[in-house]
Amino acid sequence: MALEKQEQRPAAEKGEHIIARHLIEDESIKEEKNLVIDGVDVSGRWNTFILSRVDSEFDRSFFREIKDTVVGSRINRCWQCGMCTASCTVTPLYRRFNPRAFIYMMQLGNLKELKKYIDVAWRCVGCYKCSQRCPKQVNPAEMMEALGLVIKKYFPEEVHSKLKADEDVKKIYDDMIIGHGRLDLAKLHTSAMQKTGRTKELLGKIERDAIFKMAKDGRAFSILRLGKPHNWSRSKVAIENYLKNLNTIENGEAGV
Amino acid sequence: MSENILVVGGGPAGLNAAVMLSELGVNVALVERDSFLGGNPKKFKYKFLFPDMQPADNVIGELIKKAEAGGGIKVYYSSEISDFKENGKKFDVTIKSADGSEKKTFDSVIVATGFEHFDPARDAKYSYQLFDDVIDIKDLERMMGENNFVRPSNGKPPKKVAFILCVGSRDRHVGNQYCSRVCCTVSVKQAIEMREHFPDCEAYIFYMDIRTYGFFEDLYWQAMEEHDVQIVKGRIAEITSGPDNTVICKGEDTLLRGPFEIPFDMVVLASGMEGGPQSPEISSKLGIELDEHGFLKPENITLSPFKSNKPGIFLAGACTGPKAISDSITEGAAAAMNAYTYAVKNR
Ligand SMILES: Cc1cc2nc3c(=O)[nH]c(=O)nc-3n(C[C@H](O)[C@H](O)[C@H](O)COP(=O)(O)OP(=O)(O)OC[C@H]3O[C@@H](n4cnc5c(N)ncnc54)[C@H](O)[C@@H]3O)c2cc1C
Ligand code: SF4
Ligand code: SF4
Ligand code: SF4
Repeated sequence: MALEKQEQRPAAEKGEHIIARHLIEDESIKEEKNLVIDGVDVSGRWNTFILSRVDSEFDRSFFREIKDTVVGSRINRCWQCGMCTASCTVTPLYRRFNPRAFIYMMQLGNLKELKKYIDVAWRCVGCYKCSQRCPKQVNPAEMMEALGLVIKKYFPEEVHSKLKADEDVKKIYDDMIIGHGRLDLAKLHTSAMQKTGRTKELLGKIERDAIFKMAKDGRAFSILRLGKPHNWSRSKVAIENYLKNLNTIENGEAGV
Repeated sequence: MSENILVVGGGPAGLNAAVMLSELGVNVALVERDSFLGGNPKKFKYKFLFPDMQPADNVIGELIKKAEAGGGIKVYYSSEISDFKENGKKFDVTIKSADGSEKKTFDSVIVATGFEHFDPARDAKYSYQLFDDVIDIKDLERMMGENNFVRPSNGKPPKKVAFILCVGSRDRHVGNQYCSRVCCTVSVKQAIEMREHFPDCEAYIFYMDIRTYGFFEDLYWQAMEEHDVQIVKGRIAEITSGPDNTVICKGEDTLLRGPFEIPFDMVVLASGMEGGPQSPEISSKLGIELDEHGFLKPENITLSPFKSNKPGIFLAGACTGPKAISDSITEGAAAAMNAYTYAVKNR
């Protein structure tokens, strides 16, 4: 019987002698072909090592980097009381968005943990309820900005792939600003509705009522009267040049 | 001729100072703002004292009895210092009371004007005074003292009570950065009392740290191990009204990572201690220093915590910062010893 089993299993499988092997990732197992320790040959069965799965360092350089930014300068004040998360507008909707926990990860430089939250880390709506409550005046609302900077710097690819929809929104914004020198809220609203597949609603009662109300109180006309800012074509060129150079600037900074 | 010493404030600290001085044969004038002696413990009818749950009367009642027994102590009730002047090494003082003003010369002075409870109404997020069932630890002391532990909203006994620590302390927004030292132990003590007398009422304590320092820790252990008091780590950020006449505590369970909004029948705020309006008043009247927290400032907080910056004026009790009754009583004795030495030296 025993012989039969051996034949079924590939002989050279990594870490084959480990009990509950399925709990350990392949990368965490180290096996040498031949290994001699202190003159003792431990090749074979005794030469399987499992890398430590505990955190073995707090990265304070990361903490200092955040402390040097304007928005993150008060990171050292946070004592993890949880009043920010408790008062946060977003947390009840996205429980994984937790300002207190993010600040702690940043304090300890735990990038591995932070990486798991890239999809929600940018959810802060800037209501400042947390900063209003925080007993240490950490200003957690601005710490969330620091968080955004960190994530953008350390995980650029993940940010790009996970936040794709927002790249589209950014393009709409950019086009408006560069083209007209200011946001066209009506156009922004229409394109947002179209992008989310709610084109039909644009003709619905709620929209009609809103337009009627704005026409009545004069807001609609004052919007229509708004022209481009003075001498916009020159500003436009300047902004376009700046954006063209921005990539190289950012890359340059990352290299420092 | 015996010495004349003035004691301002008839709480635990001032009472013990007066009693010790009278035992030394000193003539003591004990000036008390209220119409009764005993300070905050008497005013709010503390019933049982931490750390050993002995009846407050054993301590406060005993001191009051001694002070009122006559001897060398003259008590001025409902009175205050209306005028204060230095006269060489002595002090010329006018004491104003209902019976009129009395001018006297004293060899030395002890200030034991104590503390005021932080008024939780000043921190709007806790909705104190907005909802009847949000009370604070001094209110609960009084309720227990009067054997009247019921929900203020409907007069019925509560089934689920939350204690919220660090109200008015350790918070830049309210301007008090210090820890009030006693409120953790008071809360734990009250939770035990509550569970003992009303076993079907659940008790939860929301905490950031539980500072039952030294032997007060015994009560913390007891609360959990003998009375099933549940502790939850996270400071409460808001209190709102809930369904069925409840009050909702909004916080984050920082160990489980996640916000909660949980209804309670009653919420008890562990409001801290403040120097009160009396500290700056007495500071300017007597010309002694105030510290950055709003309490009176000792000359050297470690070497001589019972001395003011002015020779001949001594300090005792909670007027120099939050502390327990035993510390206040100890300081009363220390101040008495120092005031006596000063008086004898300058006779
Ligand atoms: C809710 C609560 C529960 C507590 N329970 C306990 C407990 O169980 N055990 C314990 O050890 N400690 C307890 N403490 C702490 C305790 O209350 C204090 O340590 C103690 O009261 C301090 O005594 P004191 O004499 O310095 O001040 P106080 O008790 O504040 O007395 C000061 C006195 O001075 C008088 N006064 C003030 N200004 C003037 C003035 N200008 N002229 C004349 N008189 C003046 C006041 O009227 C008052 O009578 C508790 C505190 C709180 C907040
Ligand atoms: S409220 Fe302030 S101190 Fe508390 S966890 Fe949030 S940031 Fe930190
Ligand atoms: S500012 Fe951002 S983090 Fe702060 S409460 Fe509002 S949404 Fe939450
Ligand atoms: S004693 Fe406890 S409740 Fe009071 S301020 Fe200090 S930590 Fe907060």
